[in-house]
Amino acid sequence: MNFIDAGVVAREDLAPGYFILRLGGCEALAGALPGQFVMVRGDWGRDPLLPRAISLLEARPDGMAAILVKTVGRGTALLSRATAGARLRVLGPLGTAFPAPDAARQDLLIAGGSGVPPVYLQAARAAAAGRADRVEVFLGGRTAQDLPYATGLERLGVSLHLTTDDGSRGQRGLVTAALERRLDEVGGRPRLMACGPDPMLHAVARIARLRELPCLVSLEAAMACGLGACLGCAVPARSRPFVYVCQDGPVFDAAEVYQ
Amino acid sequence: MTAVDMAVTMGALALKNPVMTASGTFGYAAEFADVCDVGALGGVVTKGISLQPRAGNPVPRICETAAGMLNSIGLANVGLEAFAADKMPYLRSCGAAVVVNFFGETESEYVECAARLSEIPGVAALEMNISCPNVHKGGIEFGRDPQAAGRLVRECVAAARVPVWVKLTPNVTDVVALAGACLESGAGGLSLINTLRGMAIDARTRRPRLATKFGGLSGPAIKPVALRMVFEVHRAFPDAPISAIGGLQSGEDAAEFMLAGATTLQVGTQNFVEPDAAVRVLRELRDFCAAGGVTRVLDLRGALQA
Ligand SMILES: Cc1cc2nc3c(=O)[nH]c(=O)nc-3n(C[C@H](O)[C@H](O)[C@H](O)COP(=O)(O)OP(=O)(O)OC[C@H]3O[C@@H](n4cnc5c(N)ncnc54)[C@H](O)[C@@H]3O)c2cc1C
Ligand SMILES: Cc1cc2nc3c(=O)[nH]c(=O)nc-3n(C[C@H](O)[C@H](O)[C@H](O)COP(=O)(O)O)c2cc1C
Ligand code: FES
Repeated sequence: MNFIDAGVVAREDLAPGYFILRLGGCEALAGALPGQFVMVRGDWGRDPLLPRAISLLEARPDGMAAILVKTVGRGTALLSRATAGARLRVLGPLGTAFPAPDAARQDLLIAGGSGVPPVYLQAARAAAAGRADRVEVFLGGRTAQDLPYATGLERLGVSLHLTTDDGSRGQRGLVTAALERRLDEVGGRPRLMACGPDPMLHAVARIARLRELPCLVSLEAAMACGLGACLGCAVPARSRPFVYVCQDGPVFDAAEVYQ
Repeated sequence: MTAVDMAVTMGALALKNPVMTASGTFGYAAEFADVCDVGALGGVVTKGISLQPRAGNPVPRICETAAGMLNSIGLANVGLEAFAADKMPYLRSCGAAVVVNFFGETESEYVECAARLSEIPGVAALEMNISCPNVHKGGIEFGRDPQAAGRLVRECVAAARVPVWVKLTPNVTDVVALAGACLESGAGGLSLINTLRGMAIDARTRRPRLATKFGGLSGPAIKPVALRMVFEVHRAFPDAPISAIGGLQSGEDAAEFMLAGATTLQVGTQNFVEPDAAVRVLRELRDFCAAGGVTRVLDLRGALQA
């Protein structure tokens, strides 16, 4: 883990409210695994004070890294205004990751909203290992505008299932409905890996429990340090009173964090 | 630039420099080893330790506020035995003096904790957190009543083999009375301040932002309060060794606290903002002294022109 002075190389605005920042000088992040995240902060004085937890979308050996951000509040709004040349302090890579793709099993990856990065990176890892056929990605949103980086996922050559609540793109309905239909078709015991809004993760965990499938979820919690020091990012768990998202997670066995 | 003597003595404890990290904001130090030169620091204060492990409060436990944050971690910690076995090996070898923050829910827990922690090799001093609610007195904090605090400090000082600093809460009307009671009872130093009680509300959901409703405010927002309290206590007890805490972000902040009367300085919430903050504060403090022709950092102590 490193504390890096990174430079914004480019900002790509996706659908309204979503953008990608491409960062240079991040050699130390190379080899970061899907699900791992960084604590990010710009040089913006005393307020907002704390760095923000953001998953890695990419972390290349040449020092180029990327994050995909959804603007929800002040910190992410400040990041959305970063232009080429801006400096960011970046701490990482932090946390746990999705398990490596396995030639012997099918992985169904489910993403919503700002939960795309871990799923993208996991699909990219499978594709790079020549196992694009072992993963399928499900990306859901309210409208066609809420499917950030669908184009990036398409480029990976993995099978991609898009859903929107209003039917403006892909299948109409919830991403979990599409997942269930697919599970009925594929049979076997695929692994589920999900990252996105809490209600979506909850629903995926429930599906996994009812069908007795292995399931991993990447959680979010408010964080201060990202290092396991402040004990602020606690989430109630099954095996002990609390697990800490920054250190024990963000990727957890769904049964550990969803009853 | 002039060479600056950065060494300080905090009561009986000699430190290579005055900059430390504050309890609960630097874990058990090992968490920061990859990204912070821990050995460069004068000392580290550990997360608050109790006899038994504690899981901590319900969630959410933290939320950001204007130039600061609220926390209600609930003194979660690994407990004395796991601390000694798993956390001390790194601390003992890290190169900074180890000050162990501790607390109890009863007087006897405080005293036993002080005695046992002070026997662990490598522990340079203890820091008593007297802001913990006294379960036997209906949850009133020990730290709000000078008499109760004084008695508790006396017992812990008697039980411990190393200096005992007392960390004071700012949530009192008269911090000087409390400081006096602790000093009379043999406190080897005073750490001030702990967090200020506060609250945050989400107007849209009409709910408090913390599960416990109230939490402790920290960060740059509280620095003026901390400066005032350090100054008040120093003015009343000029010889008392004071470890200043509260919103410290820079070498200039550190100099301000020393001018107000502090001997040592603890960097807290800023460790979350940049994990090597304390090392930067140390460098900036040295540069500040050198640029101003101050050859001994302790010459700043209490040198406020007022
Ligand atoms: C491990 C991890 C990985 C993440 N990865 C990404 C990512 O790749 N892309 C991305 O856009 N976001 C990601 N997030 C969420 C991101 O950290 C928050 O959206 C961000 O901190 C909000 O900051 P803000 O200043 O914009 O909002 P604030 O003004 O702080 O808050 C705005 C709203 O967001 C809520 N909020 C604040 N912090 C969090 C949080 N950590 N999680 C959930 N809700 C929060 C607040 O309660 C409030 O309602 C991740 C979070 C975690 C813990
Ligand atoms: C997350 C967090 C946990 C803390 N835990 C403790 C603790 O266990 N014991 C203690 O005496 N103080 C604890 N504190 C208080 C700090 O040590 C310090 O007194 C306070 O945060 C003010 O300094 P700052 O503004 O530099 O953070 C904690 C503070 C924070 C933010
Ligand atoms: S964010 Fe500080 S412990 Fe997880």
